Amino acid sequence: MNPPGPPPLELETVRAVYGERVALRGVDLTVGRGTLVALAGPNGSGKTTLLRVALGLLPAAVGEARLFGTPVDRLPIAERARRVAWVPQSESPRDDVRLFDYVLYGRYPHHGALDAETESDRTIAIRVITEVGLADRANDGILTLSGGERQRATLARALAQEAPLLLLDEPTTHLDIAHQLDLLERVRSLTRERGIAVVAALHDLNLAARFADRIVVLSRGQRVAEGPPAEVLSEELLLRVWGVASERRLDPRTGVPYLIPHRLVHDEPGRGEIAGFGPIHVVGGGGAGAPILRALADRGFRVTSGALNLLDTDAEAAEALGIPAPLEAPFAPIGPEVRARHRELIQAARVVVLGPIAVGPSNLANLEDLRSEAGTRPVWLVRENPAGAWDFTGGAASKLVEELKGLGARSVRDVPQLLASLQPLASPAPPGGHGSDRDARPTGGVELG
Amino acid sequence: MASGRPAADGSPRAGAVPSARRHRLLRLAVLGGGALLLLLLSPLLGTVPIPPLTVLDLFLNHLSGGFLFSDPCAGLGITATKCTAYGEIVWEARVPEVLLAVFAGASLGMAGGTLQGVFRNPLADPFLLGLSSGGTLGAAVVLVLHIGETEEYLFLPLFAFVGACATGLAILAVARGRFGSIETLLLVGVALSNLLSAILTLFLLYNPISSQQVYFWLLGGLGEATWIGDGVALGVLLVAGTLLALLGRDLNLLQLGHDVAQTAGVDSRRVRIDLILLASILTAVAVAFTGIIGFVGLVSPHVVRRLIGTDYRLVLPGSAAAGAGFLLIARDLSLVIFPTSVLPIGIFTAFAGVPFFLYLLYRSRAASPMGVAG
Repeated sequence: MNPPGPPPLELETVRAVYGERVALRGVDLTVGRGTLVALAGPNGSGKTTLLRVALGLLPAAVGEARLFGTPVDRLPIAERARRVAWVPQSESPRDDVRLFDYVLYGRYPHHGALDAETESDRTIAIRVITEVGLADRANDGILTLSGGERQRATLARALAQEAPLLLLDEPTTHLDIAHQLDLLERVRSLTRERGIAVVAALHDLNLAARFADRIVVLSRGQRVAEGPPAEVLSEELLLRVWGVASERRLDPRTGVPYLIPHRLVHDEPGRGEIAGFGPIHVVGGGGAGAPILRALADRGFRVTSGALNLLDTDAEAAEALGIPAPLEAPFAPIGPEVRARHRELIQAARVVVLGPIAVGPSNLANLEDLRSEAGTRPVWLVRENPAGAWDFTGGAASKLVEELKGLGARSVRDVPQLLASLQPLASPAPPGGHGSDRDARPTGGVELG
Repeated sequence: MASGRPAADGSPRAGAVPSARRHRLLRLAVLGGGALLLLLLSPLLGTVPIPPLTVLDLFLNHLSGGFLFSDPCAGLGITATKCTAYGEIVWEARVPEVLLAVFAGASLGMAGGTLQGVFRNPLADPFLLGLSSGGTLGAAVVLVLHIGETEEYLFLPLFAFVGACATGLAILAVARGRFGSIETLLLVGVALSNLLSAILTLFLLYNPISSQQVYFWLLGGLGEATWIGDGVALGVLLVAGTLLALLGRDLNLLQLGHDVAQTAGVDSRRVRIDLILLASILTAVAVAFTGIIGFVGLVSPHVVRRLIGTDYRLVLPGSAAAGAGFLLIARDLSLVIFPTSVLPIGIFTAFAGVPFFLYLLYRSRAASPMGVAG
């Protein structure tokens, strides 16, 4: 695939520091020719630092950054500029320089001190200005340009350097959605048409997935994920790195995955401790389970559900949240195969929750299996509306629930109460202890009391 | 400019681009021409009234080594003794004074333009970094310690020059480790300036007799001009000015900030040091021969940017021309208003400069002086 020769950019176990603060902790990265690599990660994860190291603006404390095989700190500054160009997050020019002259600045590394600009420099400047779609503004002062135009002007100046590697730092930050798409479209066509390698730090994972060949995710100065968008984009990633609960979908037109962020979960008390606790099995159906599933998944519990019918609201919720659940055909009674899988999930669970479901002949099996398989596991019954009619089995369902209660199952009024009851099980820490480290994982098994 | 608009097909017309540049070059030429005209007319003015044509004759007589106008005062009713005295005045005082005004003004203007560019600050001027304090301290050392009594004319500029240059070097040395921030450099300069002023005050406190001389020196003037001094000033101006002019493109890119300039191929750190060093040398040479003449270095670059834009390849030579012209105007103005007294020229640069500067600021209140707010 790749033409021979050393890759445009290689980072080898790069550690970078600002005084006492460590910004990169041993990052490896290789960027091939003609590829667009998106650099994602929360604020302060080291994206900009990584670009600065690659540009030679910040020396690596440990490790090495190489441009086309040569360590960047061994390249003369003008030679660096011929190999790599930079589009900073925002450039604040002081003077109202004409766009054309501003873009000509990019020709600097191709000249000696005494050379004047040549006709070919002017031709190149006009070409890149046209490429970024600013031909009609070439003679205007850059301070008169709008935010989007300014960003494209900066891109043009960088392109005028004719470097085969282009680094962009949050190029879309100040742009509206149309200009974001426009800019990234232009950048991507550069990689396709001219084989330029691009590394773009991007806040927006979905934009990254849409335009990048590969996504590299940084978190706290470390590379935590790398690969094609389809592999990298996951709900788990967004939760782990950003602390945001989300839903993964596929763009039906492009097949590219995207994430719908639901809500921030990292700053809730105890999340650090409960992350990964489970599985908690939720018996739902008819929409009664969905709020429980969402609440538990958002908090970082591992959750299973079942047995449900396809097209059921709870089945859709489980699918959206990536919660495993055995599914029966729509509107059919739960059959033996699905029951078997359901029993397995109950056996594998550490805690079982019965949602406020209505029980009829077709899903009575769920209660029977719960009764037979729950064993010594803690069981919670979420009975939000015990007065309402829910038993359509002529008393069989009510009897099973009573038996569960007799075995020690506890009733809670609603979802918040359920979460509060689960909290001490998941986190042995004293109540009120706040999880500050959102990347933390329980190191050992959490034993139930 | 209508000629600057792009063609209808959306692509910028190649011909349209250089024409704007020609326009600015023309303005630069007008500025230089104006300074040259002032240079030619200025020797006509002086504390001793001499008829203009006689001045011209005397000048050409001396310039040609006595070959032309061998009897410059013939037919004017001027005695031979007086004629010889006039000749001395024109050749040994006025012409060197006018040339010094040109060289010192050009040096200050260029240094100001350079420092405003390096610091990206419209308030920067040649004395910002405490170079004046350093130069004054050097001069004060000579005056207070009576170094080389009879050769004071030699030691005074030498010590002043060394004092100013040493200050520049000291700032660069102190700021070396943390050169990433240009603001640090500025603060170091301001701090050092205060320290040097304190030392100077201490000096004068214990030597009240010298303080009068030092005070006069502080106000600046062209009265000490000599041909030798002019030669030195010209030499320094030519060398440092040429080197600075070659760094105009680097200075343009530095306006985008240290990092952007560096990724575009400019060795930002080294270029900044070079620029500050060259500006220090130019300031030092002006200080050495004229004392402290304020406002020239601050105003000249502003005038030039207003006239010919922000391209430092043009701003630097333009600032030199504007500085020379400005100092000549100040000198001439002082002679027109107070024909018989020698007032410190620094007073007139302020009198002429401040209203003009305020006018410029008033005109540009919509767009801030360097395109930067605050």
